[in-house]
Amino acid sequence: MAEVSDGSILLLTLRVAAIATLAILPIGVFVAWKLARHEGAARTLLETLLSLPLVLPPTAVGLLLLEMLRRSGPLARLLDRLGIEVLFTWKAVVLATAVMSFPLLVRPARTAFEEVEPRLLAMGRSLGCGPFAVFRRVALPLAWRGLLSGTLLAFSRALGEFGATIMIAGNIPGRTQTMALAIFHRNQLGQNDAAFRLVAITVVIAFAVVWTTEIITRRRSHRTET
Amino acid sequence: MIEIEVAIPLSRFRLEVAATLPADTVAVLGPSGSGKTSLLEAIAGLRPKASGRVTIRGERVMDTAAGVKPPPELRRIGYVPQDACLFPHLNVADNVRFGMARKNGASLFEEAVRILEIAPLLARYPATLSGGERQRVALARAIATEPRLLLLDEPLAAVDPALRGRILPYLLRVRESLGVPFLYVTHNAGEARAVAEAAIVLRSGSVTFAGTPEAALEMMSADEDPEARFDNIFSGVLEASGAAGESGLLRIGDARLVVPADKDAVSGARAVYSVAPEDVLVSTKPLEGVSARNVHPGRVVSVTAAGADAWIGIAAAGVEWTARLTRTATDVLGLEKGVDVWIAVKTQAFHRLR
Repeated sequence: MAEVSDGSILLLTLRVAAIATLAILPIGVFVAWKLARHEGAARTLLETLLSLPLVLPPTAVGLLLLEMLRRSGPLARLLDRLGIEVLFTWKAVVLATAVMSFPLLVRPARTAFEEVEPRLLAMGRSLGCGPFAVFRRVALPLAWRGLLSGTLLAFSRALGEFGATIMIAGNIPGRTQTMALAIFHRNQLGQNDAAFRLVAITVVIAFAVVWTTEIITRRRSHRTET
Repeated sequence: MIEIEVAIPLSRFRLEVAATLPADTVAVLGPSGSGKTSLLEAIAGLRPKASGRVTIRGERVMDTAAGVKPPPELRRIGYVPQDACLFPHLNVADNVRFGMARKNGASLFEEAVRILEIAPLLARYPATLSGGERQRVALARAIATEPRLLLLDEPLAAVDPALRGRILPYLLRVRESLGVPFLYVTHNAGEARAVAEAAIVLRSGSVTFAGTPEAALEMMSADEDPEARFDNIFSGVLEASGAAGESGLLRIGDARLVVPADKDAVSGARAVYSVAPEDVLVSTKPLEGVSARNVHPGRVVSVTAAGADAWIGIAAAGVEWTARLTRTATDVLGLEKGVDVWIAVKTQAFHRLR
């Protein structure tokens, strides 16, 4: 098996994490908005379901996804008809990381939307905006900090996804092998120095992302200070 | 003409308001928790559970029995809540522009800015504005949408009492230059008298009175409603200024009140002045040799106590005054209904509203 360079592993990892994050962003923001504006049993149920990937073993989530994508399932048949092959391709990595990162996007986004004063939204309606215009012109600009920090959290989680990925995407160097998988792989092969090079890279990236998130969520806008 | 017939189930009671008011400017009075804000929200379309019918000058705003229940964005109703509710992420100019239709945009914006004199504030953000400035911006934002009805929810409650007299003229100007009908929620009896032609009183969700603001106030003070605040608002005709123009005279019926000179004042013009209840001094003995120019004998007609304060209603010089005293002072002076007193008010205590 040809040796894959650190750079190409990093690139693959960044690419799938970015695609996964962008893919869940619109859905996650929509779900967070709906959750923030509703009360009741349905909301609690949905919230619990959405949080499961946070607490389940990632391999369990991976196995469930694998089952859904097997030849027999309806989802598999649909993808088959469309001619899209997912299992053991980079698309499977995207799917696994997207599912695992989703709750990390939704939770801060929901909190941010909950903090938007409902009376401001009512005021927007009264001034002639429909529900979507109010969302775009009032809720989004007031909640953007929370949305951004959720996005960065989801992205950093996507960078490190291991368990679900290995179940449905395997560990194919150059195709589905991300940083997390490569570190494990190299360690198994006794290539500890090579593994540590990757560890160093992940530490730098993770540090940068979390640091940025902290700064964004801490800093208050000047104009909102009294 | 404003017709309201609205029902809303609230947690404490069922709000049921039915009133036909032969006026375009209506004060909504009543104690806290009587449903005043809920009524405004129902009319604005912000209470999904509200049912009933509202028409303004014959135009139907809602009529749930006929299936007409437009969402708030289609009602064309300008709502100015107590706390102004400005968008914190937008500066004043963008707040005012928020609800404006594309067409006629520029002229409406300019008119709103001019009437409320907010041009110097346009680049600032709401967090940096004073309470009074916020209310003016909220009013400008509401009128810039060309509403067919304005809903004003205690627009002066969040404003420093000393500055209230400065906001009221803007409200009156909005009324006079735009002719938009409005409902005006207030605790303040004087405000109601100054801005509205008709008044309704709400109590626990139903209308207990509908009529003139003056009659509503009488009823409320008879109830000793501690929430009703009484500013003195006097409406009369200006007479030629006194010697050397250092002061003016306001004629109300047969009475003459000495008010500050106003170089723009035209003799014979109608004018409205306010006097804070704190500025009305009360004495149980004849007053002589005091510097105040308005000294009149009178009689106590009502005493309304609330907390450590008391509001004393006094008939003097042909009008009714309200003086604010501490309860201790009221007891020491032995003030009660029917007691003869003298009042003294400095010329400078009169503030011209319009």
